[in-house]
Amino acid sequence: MSQGDDSEPEFITPPTNIKSKVSITPDGVDLEALEKAEQVIAGLQDSYLDWVEEDLRNIQAAYDKAVADAANRKAYFDEIFRISHDVKGQGGSFDYPLMTIIGNHLCRFLESVETPKESDLQVIKLHIDSLRVVITQRMAGDGGAVGTKLVAGIEAVLTKVGK
Amino acid sequence: MAGYNLERLNFLVVDDNKHMRALVKTILHALGSKNVHEAADGADAFKELRHFPADIIICDWNMSPLDGMDFVRLVRTGKDSPNPFVPIIMLTGHTEMSRVVEARDAGVHEFLAKPISAKGLFSRVRAIIDRPRAFVRAGMYFGPDRRRRDMDYKGMERRKVKKELQQAPVIDPHRDENASGGLSQAEVEALLR
Repeated sequence: MSQGDDSEPEFITPPTNIKSKVSITPDGVDLEALEKAEQVIAGLQDSYLDWVEEDLRNIQAAYDKAVADAANRKAYFDEIFRISHDVKGQGGSFDYPLMTIIGNHLCRFLESVETPKESDLQVIKLHIDSLRVVITQRMAGDGGAVGTKLVAGIEAVLTKVGK
Repeated sequence: MAGYNLERLNFLVVDDNKHMRALVKTILHALGSKNVHEAADGADAFKELRHFPADIIICDWNMSPLDGMDFVRLVRTGKDSPNPFVPIIMLTGHTEMSRVVEARDAGVHEFLAKPISAKGLFSRVRAIIDRPRAFVRAGMYFGPDRRRRDMDYKGMERRKVKKELQQAPVIDPHRDENASGGLSQAEVEALLR
């Protein structure tokens, strides 16, 4: 079969239809099953707190190396980005949306850094310390008034540094 | 109440973060799935596909050495792809429109932003079950029809001739390998050794 062009697309029916492997049954996925599945995720919150401790240790280690090794700072910033991207992607699933919000701010800040400067380290440290506070204080949900202040403080700093 | 029974569906979860893999696997098991395999990156996943007939792949974007986009292109257009038609759900923290379009143009069926929930993941699985899509080969694109049947397409009409639906298999081993837009075949094979 030849490759088509824009004017003559080829439409192909896939050889298998997964609907043939899925039936509707009384024990299938309904609203109740979805609620139960959400509860199973909520039951993983303790495991999440262990996982995220590991992330926080690793992000702190990458930060410490970025401070100590100016020549390779960009590589350590990339490592901090990778970890904060994971933190951002997980927090909200376990009722820690502040981890997602702060992780997202840190990712966006790091994306804007072309050549690392000393002042960038302070901004990164603020984010990492804030992530640590959210976990040590078990600030689930919106974190209440403290959570609001924490995020507002980060956003004020980002505005000040023009990000 | 009743609903879709996912027990017979084979899922392949591809993510370099073991905690995300555990989360997705936990959700799928909670929804009744029995057969969930895992892979830590695109290269591992491609190897897994050779002996695991996945019905749906749930794939992260950021992985190395073969990331999610490279993996999707490899599955869709690699000359030795075990299943070019497998539905793929892309999980990612990247939610910018340009990224969504890039994923769609690589041949992704559904897109799900992290952080994920059971309801969010099931909604994407259900969309794949409810709305099976024909595949299209058009220019450099090979993948599910990017025009949703239930959407009113507003763009310029380029589909002057709509051929009769054809039956698979359709992979042409002699087609231009560079047309995939991903890694070269040599690069891919090096990663898969």
